[in-house]
Amino acid sequence: MIAPKRYGAVIVALAAVLLAALLLGVAVGAVWIPPVQVAKLLAWKLGLIRHPDVPRASEIILFQLRLPRVVLAALVGAALAVSGMVFQGLFRNPLADPAIIGVSSGAALGAIIVIVVAGADAMGGLGVPIAAFVGALLTALVVYRLARIGPVVHVATLLLAGVAMAALISSALSLLMSFSGEQIRNIYFWLLGGLSARGWSSITDVTPPILLGVVAAATMRHDMNLVVLGEERAAQLGVELERFKRRSIAVGALLAASAVSVAGVIGFVGLMTPHVLRLIVGADHRRLMPAVLLAGPTLLILADLAARTAIAPEELPVGAVTALLGGPFFLFLLRRQRPDARA
Amino acid sequence: MPGFLAALVLVATGCSGPANRPAERGSGSPAAAPASGAFPVTITDDDGIAVTMKSPPQRIVTFAPSNTEIVFALGLGARLVGVSGRFDDYPPAARKIDEIGGAGDFGVDPNIEKVVALQPDLMLAISGGEQWKDRLRELGIPVFTINATGFDDLVHDIRTVGRLTGATVAAEQLASKMQEQERTIVGDLSSEPRVTCFFEAFYPPLTTVGPDTFIADLLAKAGCDSVSASAKTDYPEWSVEDLVKENPSVYLVSSESGASPAAVAARPGFDAVDAVAHGDVVPVNSDLVSRPGPRVVLGLRALAEALHPDAFP
Repeated sequence: MIAPKRYGAVIVALAAVLLAALLLGVAVGAVWIPPVQVAKLLAWKLGLIRHPDVPRASEIILFQLRLPRVVLAALVGAALAVSGMVFQGLFRNPLADPAIIGVSSGAALGAIIVIVVAGADAMGGLGVPIAAFVGALLTALVVYRLARIGPVVHVATLLLAGVAMAALISSALSLLMSFSGEQIRNIYFWLLGGLSARGWSSITDVTPPILLGVVAAATMRHDMNLVVLGEERAAQLGVELERFKRRSIAVGALLAASAVSVAGVIGFVGLMTPHVLRLIVGADHRRLMPAVLLAGPTLLILADLAARTAIAPEELPVGAVTALLGGPFFLFLLRRQRPDARA
Repeated sequence: MPGFLAALVLVATGCSGPANRPAERGSGSPAAAPASGAFPVTITDDDGIAVTMKSPPQRIVTFAPSNTEIVFALGLGARLVGVSGRFDDYPPAARKIDEIGGAGDFGVDPNIEKVVALQPDLMLAISGGEQWKDRLRELGIPVFTINATGFDDLVHDIRTVGRLTGATVAAEQLASKMQEQERTIVGDLSSEPRVTCFFEAFYPPLTTVGPDTFIADLLAKAGCDSVSASAKTDYPEWSVEDLVKENPSVYLVSSESGASPAAVAARPGFDAVDAVAHGDVVPVNSDLVSRPGPRVVLGLRALAEALHPDAFP
């Protein structure tokens, strides 16, 4: 654990990096907009200056395409990172992640079933996110039931059940892809993940559930600390274990499903962010959560920036970028950590 | 199967793209003999495989709706004993023929057992699927691959299929008729200025066509300077920012994408594109432009009309 003073510095640094990532994400894209134009447009939007004399295309690109995309990346990054933190805390295992325990693919499966059966606009557009949440929750519950032996859920069986469930869902998805015909590309998009093609409406749709999930996670951070010490000790210290586990699963599923419903399956953000920050600020969730909330958005904003500029004007799927960045980095961390088995 | 979908699957299964295209194609001399062809005939296909037909094939299996259309157009529909699947929907008689597709990891490979059971003496395929092609050859079924890279290449391919099947006269008639129709359309456009256009293959994510695709060749012939002409891949995801910047004057939506002009206009940022703001969003029947078959002249005509409405009163 680090000293409070140093923790403060870490948080300030993380906030500064997030701010820099936000500005960079807005300033840089497939189309070059001179920074002066960007600054003028932002200042105008903030009510500081009168409408500047800039090309209309620049204004549209900035406010209708780039800014919502960066904001959505921040929201999805936060949701995935906090979801990962909740699951890692619950399972007391740094490898727990919405994708690894099958929750993200469960959400994608739910969404894809609705898309294939009823179309993307089912129930006035509510069908897909609701199906994603149902898929995530059902997956988490099935995993929970499978892993539950007697009155308690053992972490090892839970993780095993999660891996088995993820495999089952992925074969169900392959099957759906075989039968889906022209929808195959749509499914492909959900599986690879992407933040393109989303506007402000996606942000207003997804903000309430993410906010709800983050607030709920924040109220649980004390219990999470106690559970980290061991289930038995947590119970002795007054944590209602089963209730805590159910709530963790619901919150983790809600956050993962919210992310999946607007961006598809994006891996490694929920795995890496809490894991890396635990190494820096320690395992106390009261300190960990603010750091995770700042770093998750940063990571996804930068990954998406790479996705949309690396081979511009063509784009890469952001899920491929996070896997590309996250995979080797994660392996490196695992390796570095081996000698002293902390975390 | 729709063109870009096939390409997606080919990419996903790690099969050959245009990079693997043999540089040299068709070994034989141009079909000089208008008679019912000379057999035995040996022709090298677009995979670089030499295929020999001892006599005109009597039981043909096609793997790709475009090949099915070619076989029917050559008057060989009665000899067709198997087609790829439910996308083989033209001419309507094709629907009644046994389907051999739907196998493999993505459900896009032929079912080897079914093919063998049909006892074909020729299978007409498109690029990709080296593994199952090898397997079928081992089982004694000749597989001939055609991969039309553009209109002229398609016409060449049709003549090649004519030689391979003994339908040289029908092939020559069809090929000349298509060339004549193409020349008429291109001629009608000779005095028209070229227009910038964008072809939407799919959304979301915004997906278009690269310069090496068959569709790109039709677009160029129809007088379009495509926004995605610089693309390095065949079916790239495209930046909406770049679309707004390039500001095409005609926006073409494939029927595979299926988006209505109103749906296109409702997307974030799209109203900044002139084509969208002026209502120049035109649906395109993908079957006519993405299937390298006899009907592409209709697709070319539709594209030309969409891009130059004034030239076709």
